[in-house]
Amino acid sequence: MDRADHRDGVIASLLWYGTWIASAVIALGVVVKAIRPDAHGLDLVNTGIVLFILLPVARVMLLLLMFLRARDFVYSAISATVLAIIAAGVVIGLR
Amino acid sequence: MAISIAFWLFAAAFGASALGGVLGMASGIFIVPILILLFGVDMHVAVGASLISVIACSCGSAAPFLRSRLTNVRLAIVLETATTLGALTGVFLIGIVSTAFLYALFAAILALSAQQMLARRREKTSGAEWPTRNWATTLDLHSSFPDRVLGREIVYQVGHVPLGLVLMYGAGLISALLGIGSGVLKIPAMDTALRLPIKVSSATSNFMIGVTATASAGAYFVRGDIDADIAGPVALGSVVGALVGARLLTGLPADKLRIFFVIVLVLLAIQMLMMAFGIQLL
Repeated sequence: MDRADHRDGVIASLLWYGTWIASAVIALGVVVKAIRPDAHGLDLVNTGIVLFILLPVARVMLLLLMFLRARDFVYSAISATVLAIIAAGVVIGLR
Repeated sequence: MAISIAFWLFAAAFGASALGGVLGMASGIFIVPILILLFGVDMHVAVGASLISVIACSCGSAAPFLRSRLTNVRLAIVLETATTLGALTGVFLIGIVSTAFLYALFAAILALSAQQMLARRREKTSGAEWPTRNWATTLDLHSSFPDRVLGREIVYQVGHVPLGLVLMYGAGLISALLGIGSGVLKIPAMDTALRLPIKVSSATSNFMIGVTATASAGAYFVRGDIDADIAGPVALGSVVGALVGARLLTGLPADKLRIFFVIVLVLLAIQMLMMAFGIQLL
């Protein structure tokens, strides 16, 4: 297995387990809210939503780290640019 | 919110995602019209909820494509600079453009999807000769993938990257404004500008959708435009529908389903266009 295959395998695992964890947290929140409306079900749903928003960010961060380790500085810069643009979106939203 | 509404949101998203999966199309384009027309949700809230379900579907379906080496990760990250920048522009515009304009834009995208669904995609990779020194070569984007049917490795070249970037910028912009994955714009960009094999283009487009949607979903979330009561069940329904639904429905006749989808898309386009002019029938 060469380096690119290994990289793609790691990303596949991150996205797969990330999706299941975020989905499980949302499902738990929806169920808690249905059974006990006074409990913090909606907070759990919001946590799951934040996990989903962060999952692609984590994927780009992981790519950045892997490109840095491979001393591929052009692609490290491209990955960092994508992260910076996503961060800029959040900053604009906060204004 | 009542349990029954959460259930119906889940069921609607599940249905759209499962049916869409049979035809290999993303369900994002149906989520916003469903939320607006059937659940009476405000446009901004519908777009916010749809963005989360788009991220969930992209992430949830990425693994098998990556493991079968269909996703061109280097090309994806290059094009994501353009899609996220487009999404950023969309975040700027969302407060400026009117809801009527968004309805009209949505109608246009629905009509475009209907047209694409009628016209089958054809491989456009063969016959193209690219100059030896171009962006794709400099960025080392050319790659290969294993074709299971032919049982051998297929080597492919990546075409016109600058044009691809321009089209991806547009796809990111539309994605942020309408809460869709913009596969309807990404796929033609990949087929005509980059000349990728269809399987590579579908896998890479799907992979990019999550990052693109996150660039605007982050802004929607911090603005408080993502209603967890709606976004939660919708995201859950979409991801479960995408993962298990398509497998349950493999027996469905794809050709009849295709015609059904074209009709639904055209009807939704007409309804959205009328809403742009302030007329609502449903």
